[in-house]
Amino acid sequence: MIVAAAILGGAAPAGAQRALTVAPLVSLVEHRVDAGFGVERSLGPIVGAVGTLRVGPRLEAAVRAVGGRLIGSTGVLDRDVGELGVEASVVTVPWLALQAGAARRAYSTKLGRQTWTLVSLGGTARMAFAGDAIHSVWRAGLLPAVSASGLRGPDTAFRAATGLEYRVRTTTLCVEYSLERYDFPAEAGVRRLEQVSAVTLLLELRLR
Amino acid sequence: MRPLALAAIVATATISPLAAQGSTAELLGQAHEFYERLEVERALPLLRQIVSPNWPFEVTREQRVEAYKYLGACLTLAGKRDSAVLFFRAAIERDPFTELDPNLFTPAQLATFGEAQRRTFAVAVRPVASARVDPRTARVTFTVVATHAALVDVKLSAVGTGPRQSLFQGTMDGVREITWDGLFSDRRLAPQGRYALAVAGRSRLTGTSDSARVYFDLRHEVAPLEDTLPALDRGALLPERISPEAARRDVAKGLGVAGAALVIAGAANGDLGGGERGGAVVVAATAAVTGVVAFLVGRGHGAIPQNIVANARRRAERDSANASVRGRNAGRIAATVLLVSPAAGEGPGP
Repeated sequence: MIVAAAILGGAAPAGAQRALTVAPLVSLVEHRVDAGFGVERSLGPIVGAVGTLRVGPRLEAAVRAVGGRLIGSTGVLDRDVGELGVEASVVTVPWLALQAGAARRAYSTKLGRQTWTLVSLGGTARMAFAGDAIHSVWRAGLLPAVSASGLRGPDTAFRAATGLEYRVRTTTLCVEYSLERYDFPAEAGVRRLEQVSAVTLLLELRLR
Repeated sequence: MRPLALAAIVATATISPLAAQGSTAELLGQAHEFYERLEVERALPLLRQIVSPNWPFEVTREQRVEAYKYLGACLTLAGKRDSAVLFFRAAIERDPFTELDPNLFTPAQLATFGEAQRRTFAVAVRPVASARVDPRTARVTFTVVATHAALVDVKLSAVGTGPRQSLFQGTMDGVREITWDGLFSDRRLAPQGRYALAVAGRSRLTGTSDSARVYFDLRHEVAPLEDTLPALDRGALLPERISPEAARRDVAKGLGVAGAALVIAGAANGDLGGGERGGAVVVAATAAVTGVVAFLVGRGHGAIPQNIVANARRRAERDSANASVRGRNAGRIAATVLLVSPAAGEGPGP
């Protein structure tokens, strides 16, 4: 869920001429964690929005805010999740944009609260279907700096996504599958694994 | 003695034309002074020397005309009217623009000169002076003359080609200025090139004819024109129809996204039991269907409406830009200035 929102935040179409867009989104997010006590799975919808400002022919800045509640599976606590992030995107060639961003994420249960700080570097490729109304979207990124309260940083952290964009005049509908994975180093013989996957629907509206 | 003679010959041969003209001008000046002092008998020999074929120095046409004119004036004062008329006629024949200033010559001289004009028929046109003429506000001026009443036809034509443009046709007597707006009868600006102004006249007194012609060059001074935008080639336009190859590629792209969704889902940590594989399947199915539908639409319909609209917009923008360019160019052409300069060749017409 959060991965989807984060990635979509820097994802204005490379060839678009819009200056300001707002994109409400809804995701179905699954969060899986194994902290040595078995896999804890929680699932739920989150909602949010991404605002993107094109500040030049090749440069965009985006702000995203998302939040929602993930319902835990049997024996797993429900958790609230929220995230606020910023991202800058540079169009290198018409079909490829590079992004860098940072986000602050919080998980909250009735037992406690955990905050994450994420720094991401990645790219987004778009390929038009014939007619230019539909684009395939491919995203990949590394998270070279991740800090989570009470945890050491992960050994492996990446995100990937793919999906489609359907454009009708000034509106673009996106559907996307995304995955965000964190493998933490073992501590006391226990290796913490964490993963967020999401299916996201996003409606991008051009304001001006 | 022989070296001295040789030196004299060499010295005579090397007298510069300027010195020769100076001698003529000097003699003409002396004659003029004698005439002003009414010493006609002393002026006449000097003037006769100038017009004599034996005069060794160069005499310009203006000097010769002046000499004839003062010969006529002197002989009038001397009471030799017939001779005076002859010399006045000689002056008029060489320069039909010759005239006597009423403030400087006596009525008898003027009357004798008038008689010479009546008995001599000639038309002429002054060489065209260099000028910069804006046809919207000014005119090219030509000066023609007929020595006495005559039916005169003044025509302008481009040398070698083009129709003749009649600038004047009618009776005239004396000097007349004729203007030209730089346009031909079809109201188009005269093109650049060399032009001939031909004057033909028939005396209403004697029935004799005469003609004259003068040449001039005409150039246009116009601000540089802008180029219009070139036609939109295929590279500048979006495809308006989906090609069969592109339609087939849409299937591949849809399947590519579908495969990528499943691959990403497969990258989930196995120890966590995968990651929302159902969502990946939904996206994969959506992408596959999209690819197939795009293929079918492309094969069946083929038109790309947004590209057609975009191309139409580009064409309209180009047409609009070109219309603006043409408008600006038309304004510049309308502001063309004519540069007139004299050209070699003048004298009697054919």
